[in-house]
Amino acid sequence: MNNLLNIEWLKVRKYPTFWIMAGMFAVLLPLWNYSINNGFMKMGGNGKNGINILDQAYAFDNVWQNLGWWSSIFVVFISVLVIIITTNEYTFKTNRQNVIDGWTRLQVLHAKWLMVLTLAIGTTIYVFITGIAFGAANDSMANFPGNISGLFYIFILSLNYYGFALLIAYLFKRSGIAIGIFFLYNMIIESLVRGFVNWRFDFPAGNLMPLQTSDELLPFPLIDIAKTLVQTEEQITDTAYVIVSLAWVAVYYIVSRFRLLKSDW
Amino acid sequence: METVLSINSVSKSYGPIQALKNVTFDVPPGSVFGILGPNGSGKTTLLGIILDVLKADEGSYQWLGGMPHDAARRSIGSLLETPNFYHYMSAWDNLQVAAAIKQRGKDDREVVLEKTGLWQRKDSKFKTYSLGMKQRLAIASTLLGNPDVLVFDEPTNGLDPAGIAEIRDLIMQLNREGKTIIMASHLLDEVEKVCTHVAILKRGDLLLSGKVDEVLVSEDQVEISAPDIAKLLATISVMPGVHSVKQQNGSLQLNCDTHISTTQINEYCIQNGITLSHLVLKKKSLETKFIELTNK
Repeated sequence: MNNLLNIEWLKVRKYPTFWIMAGMFAVLLPLWNYSINNGFMKMGGNGKNGINILDQAYAFDNVWQNLGWWSSIFVVFISVLVIIITTNEYTFKTNRQNVIDGWTRLQVLHAKWLMVLTLAIGTTIYVFITGIAFGAANDSMANFPGNISGLFYIFILSLNYYGFALLIAYLFKRSGIAIGIFFLYNMIIESLVRGFVNWRFDFPAGNLMPLQTSDELLPFPLIDIAKTLVQTEEQITDTAYVIVSLAWVAVYYIVSRFRLLKSDW
Repeated sequence: METVLSINSVSKSYGPIQALKNVTFDVPPGSVFGILGPNGSGKTTLLGIILDVLKADEGSYQWLGGMPHDAARRSIGSLLETPNFYHYMSAWDNLQVAAAIKQRGKDDREVVLEKTGLWQRKDSKFKTYSLGMKQRLAIASTLLGNPDVLVFDEPTNGLDPAGIAEIRDLIMQLNREGKTIIMASHLLDEVEKVCTHVAILKRGDLLLSGKVDEVLVSEDQVEISAPDIAKLLATISVMPGVHSVKQQNGSLQLNCDTHISTTQINEYCIQNGITLSHLVLKKKSLETKFIELTNK
């Protein structure tokens, strides 16, 4: 296991795209939140006239949910990175070479899944550190950790996104088309299907779509607060969303495994 | 170990195209085994199957007396089709990845880069390499861990004449060191110069396989000529052991039993009152044999 991951690290440690994409996530996530926290960016207007309604969401009670929501947007950088790294193996035919040199097909698959797991853990740790910094700046450390379940949801969400990105990369093999499909699905197709399903049925089954089910764990911070205030009853619990998210990850694994073991390279 | 590689009834189709049909042969240890065939004959498909990047529809293969396939692949050095490396990494770092997967040969990087003439460029990124340098790096990678068995698919692809000669010498040197080399090529000259054994494929069919000198020896031709060509034709056609006679450009081409020597032919002609003006034993080149076989 360790050896597989170590070899994946050898492949990316000198890859400029890896550092650029990971760097974008690492820099933009705190910078974006810093701007909101300090009132540089406001909802409902720009500059000095806007109303800043999110700047209170950085105390420990809300910071995990808040950062989690923004992370669900910024994880796209890492998802694209997963696609690029994986499709590179097809472009360079290095996946073939890895097998020729002695990996089994299953080891090729597991090396990438270990990378996905490591990136999800890395994302969670990074958000944790960022959360502590924002929390400490806006709140007393006595209130740490606050509503920390949000951090676990960030792990689930990033694992779901990266696993999905890996599956798309294995299915489409070329980076351009795979990235296009990823965005098309994430931004349009899933919203369309979800909207239709939720409109058609009483039960919001559309919320259980592959990526949406994790997004539901980390809703827009104010919606979460508003829901608490008006005490609306959720039809699907967070636990259910976690279980369904993990079920989708299992589906990505099974489909990608089937794809890699059965097809010619 | 009786065989390095044993291929048993391997078949493979791509949709309606049958790329390999029931191919069976063994590769003995210490041989330079050439897999020959025109483009599209199934050479690379066959190598792809024995290296597990392609799935055979039927049949099986055994490496090194039944060793698990992944362990066998780690212990041999293989170059399939094109040099496959990470474009953004140097030769040095690329070989580190290959050695890590093979679980051997990390300390051989300097030796193999020296051997293939790439040491000076070891820190250059793969994408800056010429086609010939990429091919050399692929060969360097196969040598990591000093494997006993090497698989080369068109090893001299993209090399200049000097490079081709160097790689040919390298292959012969490796064979002298006792290594078994399995090599696919459509370059007959290359195979003829270095191979001890050969298997010839045509559109997925195995036409023949065996030792190069055995495959070729029975096909030797004798070319003779005399002032009275008509008399010579009439005489030699009835000589025992002569199978066929063909008249060509004022001389006769004979196909004879292997035990018939040029001396016997000469003596036979003298006994029949013919003085030969021309007598030469022509070893049939692999190229002639190959074209004959693949055009049938």
